[in-house]
Amino acid sequence: MVGSNNTKSSRRLRLSIRYALASALLLVMVYPYLYMVLNSFADWNQVDRKLLPDSFTLKSYTWLLNGGETGVTRPWINAFANSVIVSVASTALMMLFGVMVAYALSKLRFRGRDTINNFILFHMFFPGIILLIPSFLIIQRIGWYDTYWALIIPKGVSLWAIFMYTNFFRAIPDTFIEAAKLDGARDFQILYRIMLPMSKSITSVIFLFTLMERWTELLWDMIMVRSDHMLTLNVLLSQMFGPYGGYPGPLYAGSVLLSLPIIVLFIIFGKKFQEGMQFTLK
Amino acid sequence: MNPNNNRLGWTFTSPYLIYSLVFFLGPLLWSFYLAFTNWDMIAPSYEFVGFDNFVKAFRSAGVQSAFWVTYKFMLVFVPLVIAMSLVVSVLIHGLPRFKSLFLIGFFLPYLSSGVVSALIVKGFLSYNSPMNEWLRGIGININWLGGPWSALFVVGLIMAWKFTGYYALILTSGLESIDREIYEAAAIDGVSNTSRFWRITLPLLYPALYTTLILAFGVTFGIFTEVYQLTGGGPNFATNTWQMEIFSQAFKNLQAGYASAVALLASLATFVSIFLIRKLLELWGKRNGWV
Repeated sequence: MVGSNNTKSSRRLRLSIRYALASALLLVMVYPYLYMVLNSFADWNQVDRKLLPDSFTLKSYTWLLNGGETGVTRPWINAFANSVIVSVASTALMMLFGVMVAYALSKLRFRGRDTINNFILFHMFFPGIILLIPSFLIIQRIGWYDTYWALIIPKGVSLWAIFMYTNFFRAIPDTFIEAAKLDGARDFQILYRIMLPMSKSITSVIFLFTLMERWTELLWDMIMVRSDHMLTLNVLLSQMFGPYGGYPGPLYAGSVLLSLPIIVLFIIFGKKFQEGMQFTLK
Repeated sequence: MNPNNNRLGWTFTSPYLIYSLVFFLGPLLWSFYLAFTNWDMIAPSYEFVGFDNFVKAFRSAGVQSAFWVTYKFMLVFVPLVIAMSLVVSVLIHGLPRFKSLFLIGFFLPYLSSGVVSALIVKGFLSYNSPMNEWLRGIGININWLGGPWSALFVVGLIMAWKFTGYYALILTSGLESIDREIYEAAAIDGVSNTSRFWRITLPLLYPALYTTLILAFGVTFGIFTEVYQLTGGGPNFATNTWQMEIFSQAFKNLQAGYASAVALLASLATFVSIFLIRKLLELWGKRNGWV
Protein backbone atom coordinates (compact mmCIF):
# COMPACT_ATOMS: atom_id res chain seq x y z
CA MET A 1 0.00 0.00 0.00
CA VAL A 2 2.66 2.51 1.03
CA GLY A 3 6.02 1.97 -0.61
CA SER A 4 8.79 4.50 -1.02
CA ASN A 5 9.53 3.41 -4.59
CA ASN A 6 5.90 3.41 -5.78
CA THR A 7 5.09 5.89 -8.48
CA LYS A 8 2.02 8.05 -8.06
CA SER A 9 0.08 6.43 -10.90
CA SER A 10 0.60 2.89 -9.65
CA ARG A 11 -0.65 3.97 -6.24
CA ARG A 12 -3.73 5.39 -7.87
CA LEU A 13 -4.26 2.15 -9.77
CA ARG A 14 -3.98 0.11 -6.57
CA LEU A 15 -6.44 2.41 -4.86
CA SER A 16 -8.98 2.06 -7.67
CA ILE A 17 -8.62 -1.72 -7.49
CA ARG A 18 -9.32 -1.56 -3.78
CA TYR A 19 -12.39 0.59 -4.34
CA ALA A 20 -13.63 -1.77 -7.05
CA LEU A 21 -13.11 -4.86 -4.89
CA ALA A 22 -14.71 -3.27 -1.83
CA SER A 23 -17.73 -2.14 -3.87
CA ALA A 24 -18.15 -5.59 -5.42
CA LEU A 25 -17.94 -7.22 -2.00
CA LEU A 26 -20.41 -4.73 -0.55
CA LEU A 27 -22.83 -5.50 -3.36
CA VAL A 28 -22.62 -9.21 -2.54
CA MET A 29 -23.20 -8.50 1.14
CA VAL A 30 -26.28 -6.31 0.63
CA TYR A 31 -27.64 -8.46 -2.19
CA PRO A 32 -29.85 -10.52 0.19
CA TYR A 33 -31.62 -7.29 1.21
CA LEU A 34 -32.01 -6.32 -2.43
CA TYR A 35 -33.35 -9.78 -3.20
CA MET A 36 -35.87 -9.41 -0.36
CA VAL A 37 -37.11 -5.99 -1.51
CA LEU A 38 -37.35 -6.97 -5.19
CA ASN A 39 -39.19 -10.18 -4.36
CA SER A 40 -41.67 -8.34 -2.17
CA PHE A 41 -42.69 -6.29 -5.22
CA ALA A 42 -42.30 -9.06 -7.77
CA ASP A 43 -45.10 -10.71 -9.70
CA TRP A 44 -46.03 -13.85 -7.81
CA ASN A 45 -44.89 -16.14 -10.60
CA GLN A 46 -41.42 -14.57 -10.41
CA VAL A 47 -40.85 -14.78 -6.68
CA ASP A 48 -37.74 -16.88 -5.96
CA ARG A 49 -37.50 -17.66 -9.68
CA LYS A 50 -35.26 -14.83 -10.81
CA LEU A 51 -32.08 -13.25 -9.45
CA LEU A 52 -33.50 -9.87 -10.40
CA PRO A 53 -37.28 -9.94 -10.99
CA ASP A 54 -38.46 -7.64 -13.77
CA SER A 55 -42.23 -7.58 -13.49
CA PHE A 56 -43.67 -5.87 -10.44
CA THR A 57 -46.94 -5.67 -8.50
CA LEU A 58 -48.21 -4.50 -5.11
CA LYS A 59 -50.18 -7.72 -4.63
CA SER A 60 -47.90 -8.98 -1.82
CA TYR A 61 -48.42 -5.81 0.18
CA THR A 62 -52.19 -5.65 -0.30
CA TRP A 63 -52.37 -9.33 0.70
CA LEU A 64 -50.42 -8.45 3.83
CA LEU A 65 -52.54 -5.43 4.78
CA ASN A 66 -55.82 -7.27 4.27
CA GLY A 67 -54.76 -10.01 6.63
CA GLY A 68 -54.20 -12.52 3.89
CA GLU A 69 -55.93 -15.79 4.60
CA THR A 70 -55.47 -15.85 8.34
CA GLY A 71 -58.56 -15.64 10.52
CA VAL A 72 -57.47 -12.51 12.33
CA THR A 73 -58.10 -9.22 10.60
CA ARG A 74 -54.96 -7.30 9.84
CA PRO A 75 -52.63 -9.49 11.92
CA TRP A 76 -49.56 -7.90 10.37
CA ILE A 77 -50.48 -4.36 11.35
CA ASN A 78 -51.39 -5.57 14.81
CA ALA A 79 -48.12 -7.49 15.11
CA PHE A 80 -46.19 -4.49 13.88
CA ALA A 81 -47.84 -2.37 16.59
CA ASN A 82 -46.99 -5.00 19.18
CA SER A 83 -43.36 -5.00 18.09
CA VAL A 84 -43.22 -1.22 18.32
CA ILE A 85 -44.84 -1.12 21.78
CA VAL A 86 -42.67 -3.88 23.19
CA SER A 87 -39.40 -2.73 21.64
CA VAL A 88 -39.83 0.93 22.50
CA ALA A 89 -40.87 0.20 26.09
CA SER A 90 -38.10 -2.34 26.67
CA THR A 91 -35.45 -0.17 25.11
CA ALA A 92 -36.57 2.87 27.09
CA LEU A 93 -36.26 0.85 30.30
CA MET A 94 -32.88 -0.56 29.30
CA MET A 95 -31.57 2.95 28.64
CA LEU A 96 -33.06 4.45 31.81
CA PHE A 97 -31.85 1.68 34.11
CA GLY A 98 -28.52 1.53 32.27
CA VAL A 99 -27.88 5.21 32.95
CA MET A 100 -29.07 5.05 36.58
CA VAL A 101 -27.10 1.98 37.58
CA ALA A 102 -24.01 3.10 35.69
CA TYR A 103 -24.07 6.51 37.37
CA ALA A 104 -24.12 4.89 40.79
CA LEU A 105 -21.37 2.44 39.88
CA SER A 106 -19.10 5.06 38.37
CA LYS A 107 -19.75 8.27 40.27
CA LEU A 108 -21.23 7.47 43.69
CA ARG A 109 -19.08 6.00 46.45
CA PHE A 110 -21.19 3.65 48.52
CA ARG A 111 -20.84 0.46 50.50
CA GLY A 112 -21.16 -2.64 48.32
CA ARG A 113 -20.37 -0.90 45.07
CA ASP A 114 -17.43 -3.12 44.15
CA THR A 115 -19.42 -6.23 45.01
CA ILE A 116 -22.25 -5.16 42.70
CA ASN A 117 -19.74 -4.34 39.98
CA ASN A 118 -18.13 -7.76 40.15
CA PHE A 119 -21.50 -9.45 40.33
CA ILE A 120 -22.61 -7.73 37.12
CA LEU A 121 -19.50 -9.01 35.34
CA PHE A 122 -20.22 -12.51 36.62
CA HIS A 123 -23.84 -12.20 35.50
CA MET A 124 -22.79 -10.95 32.07
CA PHE A 125 -20.58 -13.91 31.32
CA PHE A 126 -22.97 -16.50 32.68
CA PRO A 127 -24.48 -18.76 30.02
CA GLY A 128 -28.06 -17.48 29.98
CA ILE A 129 -29.69 -20.58 28.51
CA ILE A 130 -29.97 -22.19 31.95
CA LEU A 131 -32.40 -19.43 32.99
CA LEU A 132 -34.94 -19.91 30.20
CA ILE A 133 -37.24 -22.53 31.72
CA PRO A 134 -37.47 -21.14 35.27
CA SER A 135 -37.89 -17.59 33.90
CA PHE A 136 -40.86 -18.84 31.93
CA LEU A 137 -42.26 -20.48 35.08
CA ILE A 138 -41.77 -17.29 37.09
CA ILE A 139 -43.62 -15.26 34.46
CA GLN A 140 -46.45 -17.80 34.63
CA ARG A 141 -46.62 -17.60 38.43
CA ILE A 142 -46.65 -13.80 38.49
CA GLY A 143 -49.58 -13.96 36.07
CA TRP A 144 -47.78 -12.17 33.28
CA TYR A 145 -48.01 -15.01 30.75
CA ASP A 146 -49.53 -13.80 27.47
CA THR A 147 -49.32 -10.11 28.44
CA TYR A 148 -47.14 -7.19 27.39
CA TRP A 149 -45.51 -7.27 30.84
CA ALA A 150 -43.85 -10.59 30.04
CA LEU A 151 -42.39 -9.13 26.87
CA ILE A 152 -41.27 -5.83 28.38
CA ILE A 153 -40.16 -6.13 32.02
CA PRO A 154 -37.81 -9.16 31.86
CA LYS A 155 -36.22 -7.53 28.82
CA GLY A 156 -36.03 -4.15 30.58
CA VAL A 157 -32.49 -4.47 31.92
CA SER A 158 -29.46 -4.77 29.67
CA LEU A 159 -26.21 -5.74 31.38
CA TRP A 160 -24.32 -4.65 28.33
CA ALA A 161 -25.89 -1.16 28.49
CA ILE A 162 -24.94 -0.87 32.17
CA PHE A 163 -21.42 -2.04 31.39
CA MET A 164 -20.94 0.39 28.49
CA TYR A 165 -22.37 3.38 30.34
CA THR A 166 -20.28 2.61 33.43
CA ASN A 167 -17.09 2.59 31.37
CA PHE A 168 -18.07 5.77 29.61
CA PHE A 169 -19.09 7.67 32.74
CA ARG A 170 -15.81 6.73 34.43
CA ALA A 171 -14.03 8.67 31.70
CA ILE A 172 -15.97 11.86 32.54
CA PRO A 173 -13.92 13.91 35.04
CA ASP A 174 -15.38 14.24 38.55
CA THR A 175 -14.72 17.98 38.53
CA PHE A 176 -17.79 18.51 36.32
CA ILE A 177 -19.95 16.82 38.92
CA GLU A 178 -18.38 18.58 41.89
CA ALA A 179 -18.88 21.94 40.22
CA ALA A 180 -22.54 21.16 39.58
CA LYS A 181 -22.96 20.02 43.20
CA LEU A 182 -21.55 23.31 44.43
CA ASP A 183 -24.24 24.98 42.36
CA GLY A 184 -26.77 22.92 44.27
CA ALA A 185 -27.63 20.35 41.59
CA ARG A 186 -29.19 17.05 42.72
CA ASP A 187 -27.98 13.73 41.38
CA PHE A 188 -30.88 13.32 38.98
CA GLN A 189 -30.18 16.78 37.60
CA ILE A 190 -26.50 15.94 37.20
CA LEU A 191 -27.43 12.84 35.28
CA TYR A 192 -29.86 14.70 33.08
CA ARG A 193 -27.94 17.93 32.57
CA ILE A 194 -24.31 16.76 32.52
CA MET A 195 -23.83 13.04 32.02
CA LEU A 196 -26.40 12.48 29.29
CA PRO A 197 -25.52 15.44 27.07
CA MET A 198 -21.87 14.34 27.26
CA SER A 199 -22.64 10.81 26.19
CA LYS A 200 -24.75 11.34 23.08
CA SER A 201 -22.60 9.21 20.79
CA ILE A 202 -22.39 6.23 23.15
CA THR A 203 -26.12 6.61 23.80
CA SER A 204 -26.89 6.22 20.11
CA VAL A 205 -24.77 3.06 19.96
CA ILE A 206 -26.47 1.55 23.01
CA PHE A 207 -29.90 2.64 21.78
CA LEU A 208 -29.44 1.07 18.35
CA PHE A 209 -27.95 -2.18 19.61
CA THR A 210 -30.52 -2.76 22.34
CA LEU A 211 -33.44 -1.77 20.11
CA MET A 212 -32.17 -3.99 17.31
CA GLU A 213 -31.73 -6.93 19.63
CA ARG A 214 -35.17 -6.46 21.16
CA TRP A 215 -36.82 -6.00 17.78
CA THR A 216 -35.37 -9.23 16.37
CA GLU A 217 -35.81 -11.38 19.50
CA LEU A 218 -37.52 -14.67 18.68
CA LEU A 219 -37.20 -17.31 21.39
CA TRP A 220 -38.44 -15.23 24.33
CA ASP A 221 -41.32 -13.60 22.46
CA MET A 222 -42.32 -16.99 21.13
CA ILE A 223 -42.64 -18.75 24.47
CA MET A 224 -44.07 -15.86 26.48
CA VAL A 225 -47.30 -15.31 24.56
CA ARG A 226 -49.91 -17.59 23.09
CA SER A 227 -52.72 -15.39 21.69
CA ASP A 228 -52.62 -14.35 18.07
CA HIS A 229 -53.20 -10.70 18.93
CA MET A 230 -50.14 -10.67 21.22
CA LEU A 231 -47.57 -11.86 18.67
CA THR A 232 -44.70 -9.60 17.72
CA LEU A 233 -43.92 -9.14 14.05
CA ASN A 234 -40.84 -11.35 14.19
CA VAL A 235 -42.81 -14.21 15.75
CA LEU A 236 -45.72 -13.79 13.33
CA LEU A 237 -43.35 -13.94 10.39
CA SER A 238 -41.70 -17.00 11.89
CA GLN A 239 -45.06 -18.72 12.36
CA MET A 240 -46.23 -17.89 8.84
CA PHE A 241 -43.07 -19.45 7.49
CA GLY A 242 -44.30 -23.03 7.48
CA PRO A 243 -48.03 -22.86 6.67
CA TYR A 244 -47.67 -19.94 4.26
CA GLY A 245 -44.50 -21.18 2.60
CA GLY A 246 -46.61 -21.33 -0.56
CA TYR A 247 -47.03 -17.55 -0.40
CA PRO A 248 -43.42 -16.36 -0.49
CA GLY A 249 -44.35 -12.95 -1.90
CA PRO A 250 -46.25 -11.72 1.18
CA LEU A 251 -43.57 -13.23 3.42
CA TYR A 252 -41.00 -11.07 1.66
CA ALA A 253 -43.30 -8.06 2.11
CA GLY A 254 -43.51 -8.93 5.83
CA SER A 255 -39.72 -9.16 5.94
CA VAL A 256 -39.45 -5.68 4.46
CA LEU A 257 -41.89 -4.42 7.09
CA LEU A 258 -39.69 -6.01 9.78
CA SER A 259 -36.32 -4.87 8.43
CA LEU A 260 -37.10 -1.35 7.30
CA PRO A 261 -37.58 0.47 10.65
CA ILE A 262 -34.21 -0.66 12.03
CA ILE A 263 -32.34 0.16 8.85
CA VAL A 264 -33.95 3.60 8.63
CA LEU A 265 -33.08 4.34 12.27
CA PHE A 266 -29.55 3.11 11.72
CA ILE A 267 -29.08 5.42 8.75
CA ILE A 268 -30.54 8.38 10.67
CA PHE A 269 -28.20 7.76 13.59
CA GLY A 270 -25.33 6.63 11.34
CA LYS A 271 -22.89 9.43 12.07
CA LYS A 272 -23.41 9.49 15.83
CA PHE A 273 -23.25 5.71 15.79
CA GLN A 274 -19.82 5.77 14.16
CA GLU A 275 -18.49 8.22 16.73
CA GLY A 276 -19.82 6.06 19.52
CA MET A 277 -18.37 2.88 18.05
CA GLN A 278 -14.92 4.47 18.22
CA PHE A 279 -15.33 4.51 21.99
CA THR A 280 -16.79 1.04 22.36
CA LEU A 281 -13.93 -0.44 20.34
CA LYS A 282 -11.23 0.95 22.62
CA MET B 1 -17.63 9.89 52.18
CA ASN B 2 -21.10 11.32 52.12
CA PRO B 3 -23.34 9.10 54.27
CA ASN B 4 -26.22 9.92 51.93
CA ASN B 5 -24.38 8.12 49.18
CA ASN B 6 -25.11 4.71 50.65
CA ARG B 7 -28.85 5.16 50.28
CA LEU B 8 -28.52 6.89 46.94
CA GLY B 9 -26.20 4.21 45.59
CA TRP B 10 -28.55 1.41 46.52
CA THR B 11 -31.55 3.32 45.16
CA PHE B 12 -29.89 3.91 41.82
CA THR B 13 -28.74 0.31 41.51
CA SER B 14 -32.03 -1.15 42.77
CA PRO B 15 -33.50 -1.78 39.28
CA TYR B 16 -30.60 -4.08 38.55
CA LEU B 17 -30.65 -5.69 42.00
CA ILE B 18 -34.34 -6.57 41.76
CA TYR B 19 -33.92 -7.76 38.21
CA SER B 20 -30.99 -10.03 39.06
CA LEU B 21 -32.89 -11.45 42.02
CA VAL B 22 -36.04 -12.27 40.03
CA PHE B 23 -34.58 -13.11 36.65
CA PHE B 24 -31.10 -14.41 37.49
CA LEU B 25 -30.54 -15.81 40.98
CA GLY B 26 -34.10 -17.08 41.42
CA PRO B 27 -34.22 -18.93 38.09
CA LEU B 28 -30.68 -20.20 38.62
CA LEU B 29 -31.58 -21.93 41.88
CA TRP B 30 -34.89 -23.15 40.53
CA SER B 31 -33.14 -24.61 37.52
CA PHE B 32 -30.79 -26.66 39.71
CA TYR B 33 -33.79 -27.90 41.66
CA LEU B 34 -35.84 -28.79 38.58
CA ALA B 35 -32.97 -30.71 37.03
CA PHE B 36 -33.39 -33.41 39.68
CA THR B 37 -37.15 -33.81 39.19
CA ASN B 38 -39.34 -35.45 36.56
CA TRP B 39 -41.81 -32.57 36.34
CA ASP B 40 -43.67 -32.28 33.01
CA MET B 41 -44.89 -28.66 33.41
CA ILE B 42 -48.53 -29.78 33.75
CA ALA B 43 -48.92 -32.37 36.49
CA PRO B 44 -49.46 -30.83 39.94
CA SER B 45 -47.06 -33.28 41.55
CA TYR B 46 -43.66 -34.66 40.64
CA GLU B 47 -40.87 -36.72 42.12
CA PHE B 48 -37.20 -36.37 42.76
CA VAL B 49 -35.33 -38.66 40.45
CA GLY B 50 -31.74 -38.05 41.51
CA PHE B 51 -29.35 -38.09 38.59
CA ASP B 52 -31.75 -39.91 36.25
CA ASN B 53 -32.19 -36.86 33.99
CA PHE B 54 -28.44 -36.52 33.57
CA VAL B 55 -27.98 -40.20 32.81
CA LYS B 56 -30.79 -40.01 30.27
CA ALA B 57 -29.27 -36.85 28.76
CA PHE B 58 -25.84 -38.42 28.29
CA ARG B 59 -27.42 -41.28 26.38
CA SER B 60 -29.78 -39.22 24.23
CA ALA B 61 -29.00 -38.57 20.59
CA GLY B 62 -30.30 -35.00 20.96
CA VAL B 63 -27.84 -34.00 23.68
CA GLN B 64 -24.91 -35.80 22.09
CA SER B 65 -25.60 -34.06 18.80
CA ALA B 66 -26.01 -30.67 20.50
CA PHE B 67 -22.60 -31.11 22.12
CA TRP B 68 -20.82 -31.89 18.85
CA VAL B 69 -22.85 -29.58 16.61
CA THR B 70 -21.54 -26.57 18.55
CA TYR B 71 -17.95 -27.46 17.68
CA LYS B 72 -18.86 -28.30 14.10
CA PHE B 73 -20.43 -24.86 13.80
CA MET B 74 -17.18 -23.38 15.12
CA LEU B 75 -15.28 -25.24 12.42
CA VAL B 76 -17.49 -23.68 9.74
CA PHE B 77 -18.38 -20.29 11.18
CA VAL B 78 -15.23 -19.01 12.90
CA PRO B 79 -12.74 -19.36 9.99
CA LEU B 80 -15.38 -18.07 7.58
CA VAL B 81 -16.32 -14.96 9.54
CA ILE B 82 -12.74 -14.13 10.50
CA ALA B 83 -11.54 -14.49 6.91
CA MET B 84 -14.42 -12.41 5.58
CA SER B 85 -14.06 -9.62 8.13
CA LEU B 86 -10.26 -9.55 7.66
CA VAL B 87 -10.72 -9.18 3.91
CA VAL B 88 -13.26 -6.39 4.40
CA SER B 89 -11.14 -4.48 6.91
CA VAL B 90 -7.89 -4.86 4.93
CA LEU B 91 -9.71 -3.57 1.84
CA ILE B 92 -11.32 -0.53 3.40
CA HIS B 93 -8.96 0.62 6.14
CA GLY B 94 -7.13 3.76 5.21
CA LEU B 95 -9.27 4.44 2.15
CA PRO B 96 -9.11 8.20 1.62
CA ARG B 97 -12.85 8.54 0.85
CA PHE B 98 -16.14 6.78 1.51
CA LYS B 99 -14.60 4.65 4.27
CA SER B 100 -17.44 5.21 6.72
CA LEU B 101 -19.98 4.65 3.95
CA PHE B 102 -18.43 1.24 3.33
CA LEU B 103 -18.32 0.44 7.04
CA ILE B 104 -22.00 1.30 7.42
CA GLY B 105 -22.90 -0.73 4.32
CA PHE B 106 -21.07 -3.81 5.56
CA PHE B 107 -22.69 -3.40 8.98
CA LEU B 108 -26.26 -3.57 7.60
CA PRO B 109 -26.51 -7.40 7.70
CA TYR B 110 -25.92 -7.27 11.45
CA LEU B 111 -29.29 -5.51 11.82
CA SER B 112 -31.17 -8.36 10.18
CA SER B 113 -33.57 -10.62 12.01
CA GLY B 114 -32.62 -14.29 11.85
CA VAL B 115 -36.16 -15.01 10.70
CA VAL B 116 -35.75 -12.75 7.68
CA SER B 117 -32.33 -14.05 6.69
CA ALA B 118 -33.60 -17.62 7.03
CA LEU B 119 -36.56 -16.75 4.80
CA ILE B 120 -34.34 -15.22 2.14
CA VAL B 121 -31.96 -18.17 2.21
CA LYS B 122 -34.79 -20.65 2.06
CA GLY B 123 -36.16 -18.91 -1.02
CA PHE B 124 -32.73 -18.69 -2.53
CA LEU B 125 -32.11 -22.39 -2.01
CA SER B 126 -35.58 -23.62 -3.01
CA TYR B 127 -35.73 -26.29 -5.70
CA ASN B 128 -36.74 -23.93 -8.52
CA SER B 129 -34.50 -21.04 -7.48
CA PRO B 130 -32.28 -19.49 -10.17
CA MET B 131 -29.12 -20.75 -8.46
CA ASN B 132 -30.29 -24.35 -8.25
CA GLU B 133 -31.63 -24.27 -11.82
CA TRP B 134 -28.25 -23.08 -12.98
CA LEU B 135 -26.44 -25.72 -10.93
CA ARG B 136 -28.69 -28.43 -12.36
CA GLY B 137 -27.84 -27.06 -15.80
CA ILE B 138 -24.20 -27.96 -15.23
CA GLY B 139 -25.16 -31.28 -13.71
CA ILE B 140 -25.02 -30.49 -9.98
CA ASN B 141 -28.10 -31.20 -7.92
CA ILE B 142 -27.76 -30.35 -4.24
CA ASN B 143 -30.45 -30.52 -1.60
CA TRP B 144 -28.78 -27.87 0.52
CA LEU B 145 -30.75 -28.27 3.72
CA GLY B 146 -31.06 -32.04 3.30
CA GLY B 147 -27.41 -32.97 3.81
CA PRO B 148 -25.83 -32.76 7.27
CA TRP B 149 -22.69 -30.83 6.30
CA SER B 150 -24.35 -28.64 3.68
CA ALA B 151 -27.07 -27.66 6.19
CA LEU B 152 -24.37 -26.79 8.73
CA PHE B 153 -22.53 -24.81 6.08
CA VAL B 154 -25.66 -22.88 5.07
CA VAL B 155 -26.42 -21.85 8.66
CA GLY B 156 -22.74 -21.02 9.24
CA LEU B 157 -22.75 -18.87 6.12
CA ILE B 158 -25.84 -16.95 7.27
CA MET B 159 -24.18 -16.25 10.62
CA ALA B 160 -20.95 -15.20 8.91
CA TRP B 161 -22.91 -12.88 6.62
CA LYS B 162 -24.55 -11.32 9.65
CA PHE B 163 -21.43 -10.77 11.76
CA THR B 164 -18.81 -9.87 9.13
CA GLY B 165 -19.52 -6.13 9.14
CA TYR B 166 -19.49 -5.94 12.93
CA TYR B 167 -16.17 -7.74 13.27
CA ALA B 168 -14.73 -5.78 10.35
CA LEU B 169 -15.47 -2.63 12.35
CA ILE B 170 -13.41 -3.97 15.27
CA LEU B 171 -10.57 -5.14 13.02
CA THR B 172 -10.52 -1.88 11.07
CA SER B 173 -10.08 0.14 14.21
CA GLY B 174 -7.31 -2.30 15.17
CA LEU B 175 -5.59 -1.84 11.82
CA GLU B 176 -5.89 1.90 12.09
CA SER B 177 -4.12 1.95 15.43
CA ILE B 178 -1.02 0.57 13.70
CA ASP B 179 1.39 3.37 12.97
CA ARG B 180 2.00 3.92 9.25
CA GLU B 181 5.63 4.72 9.99
CA ILE B 182 6.25 1.13 10.95
CA TYR B 183 5.22 0.04 7.47
CA GLU B 184 7.32 2.74 5.89
CA ALA B 185 10.35 1.70 7.91
CA ALA B 186 9.73 -1.92 6.94
CA ALA B 187 9.47 -0.96 3.28
CA ILE B 188 12.82 0.84 3.47
CA ASP B 189 14.39 -2.21 5.09
CA GLY B 190 13.03 -4.27 2.17
CA VAL B 191 10.68 -6.47 4.17
CA SER B 192 8.55 -8.61 1.85
CA ASN B 193 4.77 -8.41 1.83
CA THR B 194 4.23 -11.81 3.46
CA SER B 195 6.66 -11.29 6.27
CA ARG B 196 5.25 -7.81 6.74
CA PHE B 197 1.87 -9.41 7.43
CA TRP B 198 3.28 -12.01 9.84
CA ARG B 199 5.86 -9.82 11.56
CA ILE B 200 4.03 -6.49 11.79
CA THR B 201 0.32 -6.60 10.97
CA LEU B 202 -0.65 -9.77 12.83
CA PRO B 203 1.21 -9.01 16.10
CA LEU B 204 -0.16 -5.47 16.25
CA LEU B 205 -3.62 -6.59 15.23
CA TYR B 206 -3.65 -9.34 17.86
CA PRO B 207 -5.74 -7.44 20.49
CA ALA B 208 -8.51 -6.70 17.99
CA LEU B 209 -8.27 -10.19 16.56
CA TYR B 210 -8.52 -11.67 20.04
CA THR B 211 -11.73 -9.72 20.74
CA THR B 212 -13.20 -10.80 17.42
CA LEU B 213 -12.31 -14.45 17.95
CA ILE B 214 -13.80 -14.52 21.44
CA LEU B 215 -17.02 -12.94 20.15
CA ALA B 216 -17.15 -15.36 17.21
CA PHE B 217 -16.61 -18.45 19.37
CA GLY B 218 -19.26 -17.14 21.78
CA VAL B 219 -21.81 -16.85 18.96
CA THR B 220 -21.63 -20.59 18.23
CA PHE B 221 -23.00 -21.41 21.68
CA GLY B 222 -26.15 -19.34 21.22
CA ILE B 223 -27.45 -20.26 17.77
CA PHE B 224 -31.20 -20.65 17.74
CA THR B 225 -33.30 -18.56 15.35
CA GLU B 226 -31.61 -19.52 12.07
CA VAL B 227 -31.65 -23.21 12.93
CA TYR B 228 -35.20 -23.18 14.25
CA GLN B 229 -36.38 -21.47 11.12
CA LEU B 230 -34.42 -23.33 8.48
CA THR B 231 -33.79 -26.88 9.59
CA GLY B 232 -35.54 -27.42 12.91
CA GLY B 233 -32.28 -29.04 14.04
CA GLY B 234 -32.23 -31.56 11.22
CA PRO B 235 -31.53 -33.39 9.08
CA ASN B 236 -31.24 -36.12 11.67
CA PHE B 237 -29.89 -33.77 14.41
CA ALA B 238 -27.12 -32.45 12.15
CA THR B 239 -27.83 -28.83 13.16
CA ASN B 240 -29.37 -29.47 16.56
CA THR B 241 -27.80 -26.75 18.75
CA TRP B 242 -28.00 -26.61 22.55
CA GLN B 243 -30.70 -23.93 22.42
CA MET B 244 -32.70 -25.94 19.91
CA GLU B 245 -32.48 -29.09 22.03
CA ILE B 246 -33.51 -27.30 25.23
CA PHE B 247 -36.35 -25.50 23.46
CA SER B 248 -37.70 -28.75 22.01
CA GLN B 249 -37.46 -30.66 25.29
CA ALA B 250 -38.99 -27.89 27.40
CA PHE B 251 -41.60 -26.29 25.18
CA LYS B 252 -42.50 -29.05 22.75
CA ASN B 253 -42.15 -32.17 24.90
CA LEU B 254 -42.88 -30.21 28.12
CA GLN B 255 -40.11 -32.09 29.98
CA ALA B 256 -39.26 -29.22 32.34
CA GLY B 257 -37.15 -31.38 34.64
CA TYR B 258 -35.22 -33.12 31.93
CA ALA B 259 -34.76 -29.91 29.91
CA SER B 260 -33.36 -28.18 33.00
CA ALA B 261 -30.77 -30.93 33.33
CA VAL B 262 -29.88 -30.47 29.66
CA ALA B 263 -29.62 -26.70 30.18
CA LEU B 264 -27.28 -27.30 33.10
CA LEU B 265 -25.05 -29.49 30.93
CA ALA B 266 -25.21 -26.89 28.15
CA SER B 267 -24.10 -24.13 30.51
CA LEU B 268 -21.29 -26.28 31.81
CA ALA B 269 -20.10 -27.14 28.29
CA THR B 270 -20.30 -23.49 27.28
CA PHE B 271 -18.47 -22.26 30.35
CA VAL B 272 -15.64 -24.79 30.12
CA SER B 273 -15.25 -24.39 26.35
CA ILE B 274 -15.13 -20.60 26.44
CA PHE B 275 -12.63 -20.74 29.29
CA LEU B 276 -10.37 -23.14 27.38
CA ILE B 277 -10.68 -21.15 24.14
CA ARG B 278 -9.71 -17.97 25.98
CA LYS B 279 -6.69 -19.65 27.54
CA LEU B 280 -5.60 -21.12 24.21
CA LEU B 281 -5.92 -17.77 22.43
CA GLU B 282 -3.93 -16.06 25.18
CA LEU B 283 -1.31 -18.77 25.00
CA TRP B 284 -1.11 -18.33 21.24
CA GLY B 285 -0.48 -14.61 21.71
CA LYS B 286 2.07 -15.11 24.48
CA ARG B 287 4.01 -17.80 22.63
CA ASN B 288 4.50 -15.45 19.73
CA GLY B 289 5.31 -12.57 22.05
CA TRP B 290 2.35 -10.46 20.93
CA VAL B 291 0.91 -9.69 24.31
